[in-house]
Amino acid sequence: MEIEIQLVHEPIPERISPVVVARASRPPGKDQNLTGETPVPLLTGAWLEFRGIVRGEENGQTISALEYEAYPEMAEREIRRILESLRTKHPCQAVKVIHRIGIIPVGETAIYVGVASAHRGEGIALLAEFMDRLKQDVPIWKRRGIPFKIVEDDVRSLSPSVRKSEPPQVGSYKSLDEALAELRSRCQPLPAVRAPLDDAVGHVLREMVSAPSDLPDCDRSTRDGYAILLNDNSEIFQVVDTLHAADWKPRELKTGQAVRIATGAPLPCGNARVVMQENVERTGDRIKILKRESALNIRQRSEDVRAGQPLVQAGARLDAGKLALLATAGCAQPLVSPRLRVVHFTTGDEIIPPDQAPKPGQVRDSNSILIRGLLQNFPCALVHAHLPEDFEKAKRVVSALNPQLLATPKHGEGGSTFDLLLVSGGASVGEKDFTHPLLEWLGFEIVFSQVNVRPGRPLIFGTNGKSVAFGLPGNPLSHFVCFQLFVATAVARLVDREAPAFERGQLAAKLDDEANPRETLWPARWDATGLHPLKWSSSGDITCLAEANALVRVPANRGSIEAGAEVDFLPTTDMMGGD
Amino acid sequence: MRILFFAQLKDATGCDSVEIAPASPLNAEQLWAELLKQFPKLGAHRSSVRMAKNCEYAVADAIFAADDEVALIPPVSGG
Repeated sequence: MEIEIQLVHEPIPERISPVVVARASRPPGKDQNLTGETPVPLLTGAWLEFRGIVRGEENGQTISALEYEAYPEMAEREIRRILESLRTKHPCQAVKVIHRIGIIPVGETAIYVGVASAHRGEGIALLAEFMDRLKQDVPIWKRRGIPFKIVEDDVRSLSPSVRKSEPPQVGSYKSLDEALAELRSRCQPLPAVRAPLDDAVGHVLREMVSAPSDLPDCDRSTRDGYAILLNDNSEIFQVVDTLHAADWKPRELKTGQAVRIATGAPLPCGNARVVMQENVERTGDRIKILKRESALNIRQRSEDVRAGQPLVQAGARLDAGKLALLATAGCAQPLVSPRLRVVHFTTGDEIIPPDQAPKPGQVRDSNSILIRGLLQNFPCALVHAHLPEDFEKAKRVVSALNPQLLATPKHGEGGSTFDLLLVSGGASVGEKDFTHPLLEWLGFEIVFSQVNVRPGRPLIFGTNGKSVAFGLPGNPLSHFVCFQLFVATAVARLVDREAPAFERGQLAAKLDDEANPRETLWPARWDATGLHPLKWSSSGDITCLAEANALVRVPANRGSIEAGAEVDFLPTTDMMGGD
Repeated sequence: MRILFFAQLKDATGCDSVEIAPASPLNAEQLWAELLKQFPKLGAHRSSVRMAKNCEYAVADAIFAADDEVALIPPVSGG
């Protein structure tokens, strides 16, 4: 009996070819051909297949996936041992067993068994007994069910095989473009402040800075050497003065006169040139020019910049180079957008810190560090707190945080204590989702709560005077996309900078998808060869977070897009983007 | 001797494996005693756990030597 056993992590294919035994092993005999093989006709009369499928319920709880764990070496041995022990009782020709491990979404195959036999009787019997024995002895475990709630917004797009058609409801959602337009109009730039250069690193400039004077302000030498009149052809010169970089000693030069000059020093007069000291022979206070070259070795006045010339435009992010330029121009207190005051709440009792081992149903918190990382290089002050799932308890935690922090008056009167509020998780419509009432309790007017884009539904956006708030979906990939798309646009407006915009690019590989009534933002890796769509089968799929640096915009109902096609995409930055 | 923990035993011990170095080979009783010292929470699972030695279920009077790979197998649920 041929036995094939596989333990796999990836999905088991929909179609698997039957193992068909064409040849019986026979000892060499008179039917032999020259090579010693005995050709015999097809022996298999029955091919049986069994697929064990993950159901949507485990221990009375609705789940979205099951996590399987295995002791692989022993599992394989045990499966083989069981089959060997059954072969005499139920003689079959071939068995193929594939068991998937890891997280398996509901509806997908966990175990596949294929049996080839001469007649159906022994095949059916072997299959049945094998499954009974596997369930007693083979070291594979259903470790935990992943609760339905975790993949709260995109349950239907969990995997292509369980995707169902969605109810239209288009009218109740904003389209992506509508939502972005709404954000742009509702988010107003925060008042600019003057900050010393030290404190202005990474801030957005809010005034145009021009050169207050010519740079350089006068002709300066670029070499150590001797300044002489431009067309002075004397052979021997008298050195009449010495100039260092900080000196300012204008004087007249006559024919035959030279001034010793250091790099950077202002020339003593116009109409001059500098001869490099390497080309000169000096004896006492006399020099002889050994070699004449055409270079003047002078940086002319206003060669870099003229007085009044723009140096840095408003809207620019002040990186090191721009700051240095401002310093040279004497702009020591530029007008900039203020530091953003950001508050981030994570919610959900199933969330545990990264350093703990999850119990069944729990997941480690990745959204906190995601937000912190995305805002790291951006001038902001970030306060984070985790809220319990009970609304009353959550309110107490929020109130206790820092009374100053939450003294945001309702609907725009007076000043506020934070500019941007992010709430991760709890944005959906489950019983325990309280982002909506929480934002209202904090005085926010909810502008929209759904956007017709995948992933990224739900998404709550509200305003309270100059402050804005977002309720982001809990699962990490949706969270990431919503941040890059919506939060980044809002933040850009608050600091008066260009919002992230879609660009045109080319797909380097096929984007494999099923047509979906919603627009989709597909994570991709963007490099010199184009856009490489990343593997993604559910909003909970976080592995592409490590690779994604772009989101490809797939129109509604489009389905797959072929390699080489031109697409719109959004480069996803960590708010560090240059100009 | 490497001892592997699976499924709920990982929660009970807080790890997926441990190395022990007994002075001489152990029988099952002695091995359990050794493990319970380090991981008292294993006690609750003892009656439902089967031991495996080098990828095979161990017989009742099995002896575990220093170079064996031992696995604690709680009730399985494959398929």
